[in-house]
Amino acid sequence: MKQTPNEKTIQERLKPGVITLDGFLGEDNRHYHDIINEDMEKLKSLNITKEDIADRMQYFTDLALMNNDEEAVIDDIYKVHYLTERGKIVSPFMDRGLIAKGSITLHNMQNDLKVCWTPLNISMIRNHGFFEGKGATHRLEPEILVKAIF
Amino acid sequence: MLSLIINNVVIFAGIGGFLALLLVIADYFLANYGDCQIDINGKKKLTVKGGSSLLNSLAENNVFIPSACGGRGTCGLCKVKVKEGGGPLLPTERPYLDADELKNGVRLSCQVKVKEDIIISIPEALFSIRKFKGVVETIIDYTYDTKGLVIKLIEPAKIDFKAGQYIQLESKKYAKSKQVVSRAYSMANCPENNNVVELIIRRVPDGIMTTFVHDYLKKDDELYLTGPYGDFFIRDTDTDMIFVAGGSGMAPFKGIIEDLYKKESKQHIVYFFGARTTEDLFLVDEMKEYEKKMADFTFIPVISQPEKSPDWKGESGYIPPLLDKHIRDPKNTEGYLCGSPALIASTEKKMKELGIENVYYDSFG
Ligand code: FES
Repeated sequence: MKQTPNEKTIQERLKPGVITLDGFLGEDNRHYHDIINEDMEKLKSLNITKEDIADRMQYFTDLALMNNDEEAVIDDIYKVHYLTERGKIVSPFMDRGLIAKGSITLHNMQNDLKVCWTPLNISMIRNHGFFEGKGATHRLEPEILVKAIF
Repeated sequence: MLSLIINNVVIFAGIGGFLALLLVIADYFLANYGDCQIDINGKKKLTVKGGSSLLNSLAENNVFIPSACGGRGTCGLCKVKVKEGGGPLLPTERPYLDADELKNGVRLSCQVKVKEDIIISIPEALFSIRKFKGVVETIIDYTYDTKGLVIKLIEPAKIDFKAGQYIQLESKKYAKSKQVVSRAYSMANCPENNNVVELIIRRVPDGIMTTFVHDYLKKDDELYLTGPYGDFFIRDTDTDMIFVAGGSGMAPFKGIIEDLYKKESKQHIVYFFGARTTEDLFLVDEMKEYEKKMADFTFIPVISQPEKSPDWKGESGYIPPLLDKHIRDPKNTEGYLCGSPALIASTEKKMKELGIENVYYDSFG
């Protein structure tokens, strides 16, 4: 596959040990374009946009952040916990700005689904439709994510 | 006809590819930029062999710019102001630079190649930063996810610093991490013990450096670090002081309190140390000892999940609501904070509401 130098750099930055220890691709050997394309098809079939998903994740993230590293119950349905970490991280896609470290865990008490994401996940979903490769530490299956957060 | 077109496309693509390859090879083997001069702040001139990154060229001449990713353009810490030279801005630099920085010629020194004379400006404090070689003297298990590290300095054998400052520790290649990274950690020792560097390192899930320290580092291993960096240290005043830390945020305060003790400080100091459960608390006995030994020092550990620590008799909940009963005169009080961004944000807000104007915090967040 023909790649621009930028795309090559991005593919490199997604690998283990560059930005995070485990990287963002998991056992997925596909090019990140293919991972994104498949997930975007999934979103189409779910009739939802990546921006809708990112907005909803950001909503929970912001509310949980105000709870000082403690669990928050939101709208009587969602238990959300934002564990903040010191330090910032950069996007493998070389988007502008540094992103806070930390992880957000959401438990939907109605359907008992649990999902976990990082602020970087929100940025990668919003700006690139990237939910990470299969088997990656923070891979978010679009279908499960949508069921959990909406 | 079709085969003719395909043939032509293949031939042109081949020629294009060959020329591009030639250029890369020529740049690699033949590019000789000769000696270049780096002018720093108009005060120091270095003559370096052209072709290397600005970050490395400076480091080879003992000028250490903070960096945490080994020059891979992923940490954004290695900013310097380039006044002249340095070539065009690269796409790898853009993410880290805001509009002001772009306007002022700020660049990532690891991405700038020295191919011509360059004029740069950096903070003067960076001139006093050194690279140290040390060996791991002790590894302490403070909690299930937090380790203490005592590194004995070998070369140079001493480090001059102010209590509360930080160093950048270099990892080694291991398992999945195929490159050296460096990360910032506050020093937990006081400046009087200047032949060692003590660190407190909490495991970060998926963290390249903390996995190295927690799972791979052993006693007597050799390590490299640079420092001291940072402006998180006690201001030279005689005001009351409120310290607030969470988790590994204990590190700078351990050094600061040891230092204040050695200087026989009489200041009114209250230190809140936040943890989730009693299992996350550490160095409590040592801090309680300082309560006895120092003139006016109070240590208050606070547990945020008391339901998980049923035997806990101390303070619990959030730290900010506990502050006001320990503040005698907000106008004569300084706040010092180190911990998670959530802890820093909520505590700073509360301190400002209470009328404390001078609030300093460790800016790793
Ligand atoms: S050293 Fe990390 S971006 Fe330059």
